[in-house]
Amino acid sequence: MSGYADYSGHSYSARAPASVKFGRSGLVEKFGRMPWGLVLLILAVASIGVAVLYSSTVTNPVEADLPMKHAMRFVMTFIMMLVLALIPLKIWMRLAFPAYLGTLILLIGVELFGSTGGGAQRWLQIGPVGVQPSEFMKLALSLALARYYQMYLGARAGGFWIHLPALILIMMPAALIFMQPDLGTTLMLVASGGTIIFFAGLYWRIILSVGTLGILGAPAAYFFVLEDYQRARVETLWNPGADPLGAGYQIEQAKIAVGSGGWDGKGYMQGIQSQLDYIPEQHTDFILTVIAEEFGFLGAAGLLLIWAIILGWAFAIALRCNSTFGRLAASGAVATILFYIAFNAGMVIGLLPVVGVPMPLVSYGGTAMVTVMACLGLILSAHIHRDDKLTATGII
Amino acid sequence: MSRNRDAESLFTRRAAIAASAGGAIWAALLARLYQLQVVDGDAYRKLAAENGVKLDLAPPRRGDILDRFGRPLAAHRRAGRISLVREQVADMDQALAQIANHISLTPERRERIKSRAYSQARFVPTVVAEELSYEDFARMSLHAVDIPGVSVEMAATRSYPRGRDLAHVLGYVARASERDLTRLTDGASRPEAAAVRRLFKHPDMRTGRSGIEFFAEDWLRGEPGFRRLVTNAAGRVIEELPSDDIAPTQGRDLSVTIDAELQRKAIERFGDESGAAVVMDIESGDILALVSTPAFDPNDFVNGISQTDYDVLRNNSRSPLYHKAYDGTYPPGSTFKMVVAAAALEAGVVDPSERVFCNRRYWFGNRTWHCWKPGGHGSMNMHEAIKGSCDVYFYEIARRTGVEKIAEVSRRFGFGQVWDLGMTGGRGGVVPDDPWKRSVHGEQWYEGETLNFGIGQGYLTATPLQLAVMTARIAAEGRLITPNLVGEGPRPDADIPFDGTFDPEIMQRMKAGMFGVTSEGGGTALRSGDLGLGGPRLAGKTGTAQVRRITMAERNSGILKGDAIRRELRDHALFVAYAPTDDPKYAISVIVEHGEGGSSTAAPVARDIMAEAMRLNSRGTPAYTRTASVSSGQTGDGAP
Repeated sequence: MSGYADYSGHSYSARAPASVKFGRSGLVEKFGRMPWGLVLLILAVASIGVAVLYSSTVTNPVEADLPMKHAMRFVMTFIMMLVLALIPLKIWMRLAFPAYLGTLILLIGVELFGSTGGGAQRWLQIGPVGVQPSEFMKLALSLALARYYQMYLGARAGGFWIHLPALILIMMPAALIFMQPDLGTTLMLVASGGTIIFFAGLYWRIILSVGTLGILGAPAAYFFVLEDYQRARVETLWNPGADPLGAGYQIEQAKIAVGSGGWDGKGYMQGIQSQLDYIPEQHTDFILTVIAEEFGFLGAAGLLLIWAIILGWAFAIALRCNSTFGRLAASGAVATILFYIAFNAGMVIGLLPVVGVPMPLVSYGGTAMVTVMACLGLILSAHIHRDDKLTATGII
Repeated sequence: MSRNRDAESLFTRRAAIAASAGGAIWAALLARLYQLQVVDGDAYRKLAAENGVKLDLAPPRRGDILDRFGRPLAAHRRAGRISLVREQVADMDQALAQIANHISLTPERRERIKSRAYSQARFVPTVVAEELSYEDFARMSLHAVDIPGVSVEMAATRSYPRGRDLAHVLGYVARASERDLTRLTDGASRPEAAAVRRLFKHPDMRTGRSGIEFFAEDWLRGEPGFRRLVTNAAGRVIEELPSDDIAPTQGRDLSVTIDAELQRKAIERFGDESGAAVVMDIESGDILALVSTPAFDPNDFVNGISQTDYDVLRNNSRSPLYHKAYDGTYPPGSTFKMVVAAAALEAGVVDPSERVFCNRRYWFGNRTWHCWKPGGHGSMNMHEAIKGSCDVYFYEIARRTGVEKIAEVSRRFGFGQVWDLGMTGGRGGVVPDDPWKRSVHGEQWYEGETLNFGIGQGYLTATPLQLAVMTARIAAEGRLITPNLVGEGPRPDADIPFDGTFDPEIMQRMKAGMFGVTSEGGGTALRSGDLGLGGPRLAGKTGTAQVRRITMAERNSGILKGDAIRRELRDHALFVAYAPTDDPKYAISVIVEHGEGGSSTAAPVARDIMAEAMRLNSRGTPAYTRTASVSSGQTGDGAP
C-alpha cells in the first residue's frame, strides 16, 4: 500500500474516525463540530446580497421578485451546504471521478445540443431545469484532481509525469468551455486547477516555463484564438473612453458608479447610477457597483474583507486536513471561490476585461450559487472530517 | 517518512506562497477601489451627476389676454400630448405601432410623424398626438413606460375661450414657420438666434401670427427657463428636481378695453349679416366693441389649420378672414355729411339758416346730380338737410366750401388716419384732394368730384373705426378723442399729428342735426331713436354707400333693390350714433355690408348694440391699470 494517505504520521486519539459512524448520534456530534463562525460569515454575505439586490431592482417592477428569489435560493443551497458538510470525505472521494466524468459528458452535450444565452452556448436543458455544466465543472475538477493526487502523490511525488494526467484533467473541460465560448469560466478552471497542481508540488522550473510560455503566447492567443467581441473587451479595458456608448459603456458606467461612491457612499438605495439603470447586468455580474456606489469604499472593501476572512479560514481548514484528498479538494474549493471574487471585482473596477463572472452569493443567479455553496460544503466537510484516514485508492 | 515530511513541508511552503498571492490579489483590488473611490471620487461624482440630471428647456407660458373686466379672451389650457425623441427610439415603426395599440393612429398619420421626426434633429421631440382625451391620456401614461423614447405629458396650449368673438382683434398663434423664425431672429446675434430657434422648436411654443398676438409677441412671450430632469440610461424621465431658480418667467398678461359681453351681443345682433361695428367710450376713447362679422375661429389655427379649411375661409364671399372694422374701407356715404357741414360753417360759406331748394336734381357743369329722395326735399336749411340727409343741399355747400377745406376738416376728424391700436392691420382709407388725385390718378381734381365728396361718395373711403372716432369727436363737441384698444400692455405711440380744434358751437349744431335724424319729424331714422331703456335716446346719422354706379336708364325705370340684384351689388348700409343724447357717453358706427338702407338695416342694429352697451355699463371702471403709451412691446409696468 503506497502510504501517502498516512504520511501525516499521527494516529487517531480516543475518537474513532467520524466517517465510520453513521448512527444518529454520530450525525449530531458531527453537526456540533461545524465551524459556526464561518457559517455566520457566509450568512452575512448572503444577507448583504439580498439587501443590495433589493436596492438594485427596486426601480424596476419587472425585477421586483428577484431579491426574494435570491433569498429562497440561498436558503435551499444553505441546507444543501449543511448536508454536504456531513458527507464523509471518503464518499466525496468516491464520487469525484464519476462527477467529473458526468460533468464532462454534459459539457459535450452542451456543445452538441446546448441552448444559447447571451451569445454563448452554455445552457443544457434537462427536463424542466436549465443547467450550466461549466459551473459544476469547477467543483468536479477540484474533486477529480484531489482524487487523482490522493492516488499517486505519495508514491511518485518527485516525478514530473505524475502531473501530466492532472493537466489533461484540466485541459479537457477547459477546451470544451472555451469553445462555448466562455472565457471567464475557462480562466477560472485553469487557475483553480493550476492552484491544485501547484500545491501538489509541480516543479518551479515547469511552472516558470509554462508561465513564460503563457506570457509569450498571450499576444498570439489574443489575435488568433479570441473572438472579436472578446478582443473588444480587452481593448476596452485599456481604453474605455474610446467608445463610451459602445463596447466601453458598461465598464465606463461601472467605474463612474464605483468612483462616485466615495468614502462612505451615497446611502442605501440612493445610488444614482444603480437606481437609474445606467449599468447593464447590475443585479448579476455588476452587483459590486451598487455596493460601491451606495456604501462607498467602506462598503466595497468591507465585503472583500469578509470574503478574505472566509477564505483565510477555509484555507486554514484545508491546511489542517489530514488527507491529501481533503487538503487538495478544499484548497481547490477555496481557489475557486477566490477566483470568482478576484475575476468579478477585477472586471467591475476595470482591472480585468469583462469576462462574465458573478460575485459569489451576492450576484443574482442560481447556478453559481449552487457551485459556491457546494464548495463551501466541501470545505466544511473537510473541517468536520479533518482527521479521517483515507486509503490511496479510496473505494474504487 | 522523509518523503512524507518533504511533501508536508512542500505543501506548507506552497500554501504560504499561495496565501501571499491571494493577499496580493486582495491588496490590488483594495488599492484599485481606493484609487477609484477616494482618490478620483470627486471626478466620478461629477460624471455621475451629469449622467442622471438633464437640463430640459422649459418654454414660458404665454401671457393671457383679458377683456376690460378681466374675462379671459386668450388663455392657456392644459392638454395631454404624446411625443417621441428619435435618438431614444430603438425602432420607429415598432414604437408607433405600439402607440397605435392604445390610441387611434392611422398608417398615413404614422408615415407623416415618421417623416417629420426624420426631418428634424434627432434630439428634438416630435409630436405624435396632442389634445388627447382624458381616457387616451390616462391609458398612454400607463403604457408609454414600456416604449423607450416616447413620453406623455401635459402641455399648455393656447386657447380662445370666446372663439370667433374677437378673432380679428386677438389674432392667433401658430407654430413658428421658417419665415417666423427669420423674423424673430432678425438682428439677433448668432447665439441669441440659435437660442430663439431652439426655443421655438419646442412643441409647446407658438408665436403670434396676427392681431394682438402678433403685435404684443414680446410682452406675451415671457422668458424660457429649464427643468432639471432625472433621466435613466434609456433617457426616460424618472423625476423632476426642484427647478425654481431656473424656471421660465411666464409672459405678462395683457388687457384690452373691450367688453367681451358687449362684443358677443353685438355679433349676435348682426345674425347672418356681414359687417362691422365699433363702440367707443366718448370720455376715454376706449374701444368697447370692435366687431367684424363673420369671423374665423382662432382655435383652429393654434395647431395648424388644414389647407382645405383655410380655403373655405378664404373663398367665403363674406370674407371671415378680413378685419372689416379696422381694415375695411367703405365710402361713408351720408354719415359724412356732418363733416361737410362743419367744413362749410368753418369756411363761412353758408349760414345755418340759409335755405337751399331740393327738387331732386342739381345741375353743375354739363351734368346732373341726383338726391336720393324721389321728388326732392323742397326748401332746406342746414338742420333740416342733415335730418333729412338732403343730397342737393350738400352738393351746394360742398361746391361752395371746396375740396381742400373739406379734406382738411376730414383729416381733423380722423379720416385718412391709420389708428395704430396695437394689433396688426389698420388702414387709413382715402381723403381725396387735388394733390392726391394727381399722384394716384395722374390728373387734376375736377370740381364735379367735390359734389360727390360732399355726400361721402366718390374717392372718399373710411373705416368703421374712423366713423366711430368722427362720431365721438362730434358728440364730445370737438374734444380730441383718440381710440384705445390696449388697456394694460404694449400701447403704441399716440403720435397722431393733429392740428387745430373744433368750434364747439359748430359741433352743437351737428349734434342737433343728428338728434333730428332720430327724434324729429322728417328724420331718416326716427324708428331707431328710442333705446328702449325708458328714456335715453340716441342721436345718429344714416348712410348708404353705393357699391355700383347707377345708370340713367336705371334711375328712370326705378333703382333696383333687394332680390332684383345680386347681393354683392347691393348698397352698404351705415349708421353712426351717440347716446345718451343729453350727456353723450358712447359713440357707435355700424356698417351692414350690402344691407341697402342705413335707416332700415344699420340703424336698428346700432340702436340695439347701443342699448346693450348702456345696459351692460360697458364703459365701467376697467379691472386693469392702464399702461402708458410705448412705442412697442418692451416696457415694463406703466403708470396709470
